[in-house]
Amino acid sequence: MNRIEELDMITRVRGEVMNQKELTGENLFLAWGYPTAIVLFLEFVALMVWNEDWCNWLWAGIPLIGTPLMIYFLNEDYERTHHRTLEQNVILQMWIFIGFASCVGGAAMGFANVFQLCYCSYQCLLCGLGCFMTGIILHFRPKIICGIISSALSVIPLFLQGDLWPWQLLIASVIATIALIIPGHLFHRYVKTIRNQ
Amino acid sequence: MNTFKFPVINPLLHSELRLKIMVALDSLESADFMYLCQITDSTRGNLSSQIATLKEAGYLEVLKSGTLGRFSRTVCRITNRGREALSAYEEGLRHLFEQEIPTQDEQQVINQ
Repeated sequence: MNRIEELDMITRVRGEVMNQKELTGENLFLAWGYPTAIVLFLEFVALMVWNEDWCNWLWAGIPLIGTPLMIYFLNEDYERTHHRTLEQNVILQMWIFIGFASCVGGAAMGFANVFQLCYCSYQCLLCGLGCFMTGIILHFRPKIICGIISSALSVIPLFLQGDLWPWQLLIASVIATIALIIPGHLFHRYVKTIRNQ
Repeated sequence: MNTFKFPVINPLLHSELRLKIMVALDSLESADFMYLCQITDSTRGNLSSQIATLKEAGYLEVLKSGTLGRFSRTVCRITNRGREALSAYEEGLRHLFEQEIPTQDEQQVINQ
């Protein structure tokens, strides 16, 4: 190959890679959204009905259900497309970091005895920011809007203190629906439409 | 007098298949063997040996992860060293393209 053919080949391969890039991860928001919203709602109901210590441990159901679902859907995406794009990797790393920050923040707040004071608010803010950033990276407006709304709503739990604490969980469940489930379904439909075209 | 220096062209990347592999991986975070086979339009044996050469040079990371049917999945990822080498190679080609006087045949291709 001479230099022109080589440069032409480089451009062609780059173009082919770009053309074959697919939007994926349409199930990931749902894989985390439903467990989060349902578990938080169940925890709220359990605290209202029984108000015992074990009710506070129900939250552990979120990572226990969400993590295997996420791994399953990531593998499914990779098996179909056989590659991962730089954008997908950035989004994945960002959500892993958000999960990590949520755990570390929760532990720190537990030690500082401010868990009930601000953890729900903190977690909702992280979810909202994650949704917003994902929308920016994917150029998907509904995620950007839902991210902004849920970040703004994340201050509400701060006003529910003392005996009203369990209501923070209900609000967090609603925010999880706005930050994860609604944009998740919209993105799912968008990806299916693009794939069928 | 016009003194033209030829940029040093990396012989490792001066092979069509190796260059295709590097360019494809440069635009992605990672890709598996099947994807590279399809995008480079090459045979499994040839691709495998070129990936091994690039891995030996430190341009690629090759990981075995999970399974794909009966086989283990081979996932390739470009390293920072690989990205730098590819970028320098492209730069060299562009430099040659801009500086060198094209032949008559090449001029026709450019004009098209």
